[in-house]
Amino acid sequence: MAGAADLSVICNSRVPLTAGDVRDLFLGEKQFAGAVKLVPVDNSSAQSVFLERALKMNAAKYSTTWTKKSFRDGINPPLVTGSDAEALAYVKRTPGACSYVTIATPADVVVVARL
Amino acid sequence: MGTTTPRRASPSRAWVGALLVAGLGHTLATHAAADDSDRIATLEQKLDQSLQLIQQLSARVHDLEAQVGQGNAAAAAKGPGPAPAAAQPGTPAATQPGTVAATAPDTAQRLARVEQTVTEMAASAGQHAEDIGMPMHGFADVGVGNHNAEFPQYQGADIAELDFFLTPRLGSRTRALFELNFEVGSDGSVGVDLERAQIGYQFADSATVWLGRFHTPYGYYNTAFHHGQQIATSLRRPRFIEFEDHGGIMPAHTVGAWLTGSQRVGDEKVTYDAFIGNSQRITDGKLDMNNAGNTHGSTIVGANLGVLLSGALDGLKVGVDAFQTRVLDDDTPAPAPPFATRVRSYGAYAAYDTDSWEDIAEFHVFDNDDLTGHTGTHRSEAGFVQMGYRAGHYTPYARYERGAFQQSDNFFSAQDNGSSYYRTALGLRFDVDLVSSLKLELAETHLTDRDISSYDEALLQYAIRF
Repeated sequence: MAGAADLSVICNSRVPLTAGDVRDLFLGEKQFAGAVKLVPVDNSSAQSVFLERALKMNAAKYSTTWTKKSFRDGINPPLVTGSDAEALAYVKRTPGACSYVTIATPADVVVVARL
Repeated sequence: MGTTTPRRASPSRAWVGALLVAGLGHTLATHAAADDSDRIATLEQKLDQSLQLIQQLSARVHDLEAQVGQGNAAAAAKGPGPAPAAAQPGTPAATQPGTVAATAPDTAQRLARVEQTVTEMAASAGQHAEDIGMPMHGFADVGVGNHNAEFPQYQGADIAELDFFLTPRLGSRTRALFELNFEVGSDGSVGVDLERAQIGYQFADSATVWLGRFHTPYGYYNTAFHHGQQIATSLRRPRFIEFEDHGGIMPAHTVGAWLTGSQRVGDEKVTYDAFIGNSQRITDGKLDMNNAGNTHGSTIVGANLGVLLSGALDGLKVGVDAFQTRVLDDDTPAPAPPFATRVRSYGAYAAYDTDSWEDIAEFHVFDNDDLTGHTGTHRSEAGFVQMGYRAGHYTPYARYERGAFQQSDNFFSAQDNGSSYYRTALGLRFDVDLVSSLKLELAETHLTDRDISSYDEALLQYAIRF
């Protein structure tokens, strides 16, 4: 499990995002980067660390926040992958996808932030 | 105050006793939580083991890739020549470092197949949720009390509602939301309402336009909670913003078009809503949003402007809203034409939502013109303040609400719940787990003009989301 390991927020190579967009991205407030439809993807193996470091909230609040968001705005919470490898594979092959991993990041994804 | 309705002691005591028994159920819930903790610990252990296995396999793949790289380098150093004999999969030659150069092409192919398989597995696992296509969520709640929380003429146990909302994944910019609600009406029968049916197009983060039936974006509470009782701290909505068919005196739903969005301005976020739709009518003492349209072409138009603050005020949203509509009273005795009222509402709200606090205040003023009797403009007011403090699984809360409605204003006098009132409530919410909550509320309601009476309530509710 991810502990004090470095956490990288990564995006598909065609996604122009900045570290300041990460919170809005994973809370459904930012759904487009230019013309690109963003696809945030949670990585359950590193989620607790990500929520703590990037969003400053726990899993319960994250879930409730998304329930409210979904109920009001009709958008769905991020898809969930089960590991760094899955998250990385999904981001590499999906235009607009972003996730977070605790492993070394290959050159064909964009590292938006290191947490 | 005026007269007070006599209280029937015995049934009330019986229900209060029932509530206390139900409260003791908390102990059982705690045991259930302990069982869940054990299961979660076991699952975490299995997950750790799986991750270790994945890491080992990843390391092995990495080693093999390195060997292939070395082999290619060796082959390149040797220059062109006859292709070496391929090693059979699984034979020592395929993995012996000293023979890598001779088996590199085959190993590379095998690695490519393995990588493709792993990628497909990962992709299928990651895409599983996406392939569902039509995520369905919902809420449900049941209750018991010495009165019914929605229809105080009843007492005992009640099933309040079962609410489904669907958010199908469509194109990147097309969105849809449908909400189907099964609820028990004032006559005890189960009714089905298409609470929301809205299809929208998202131009950008700052602009989405919806068409259909939607929650009228006045104030804060109506769009933040609506039928989602489990995500609301309190046991029920303020009386004056109840749903139309539960006697609410404001138009909770609108059928029409709604433009909404948000935009960051510095560190703050500005939210806005603008809407237009069918104007309402009053029929059988209740507001009706005219789902099928109306016969005179009148509209409701309105807007809401809010600001989400940051820094020391992070979690605070403040805003203002207004709407205007023309409401016909279908209950006007024939042969007189229906009374018509131009309703103008102006509102202001503040909501402070943090890890510890959820405080909401909302206030509305009505300046209504009598378009039939020409009795002039009638001013009425309504508002509430609610404070809740989140302390782990428990959230105690308090709410005070008041509605001062001119009974000379046909818009209020024609509605069953259009009488003035004030209500104080103290409640305790207990989160059994992430998706279910138990709420106990003690409330005192005073009706202050059309009827002068009061009643006390002890209510228990079990609400879930899924």
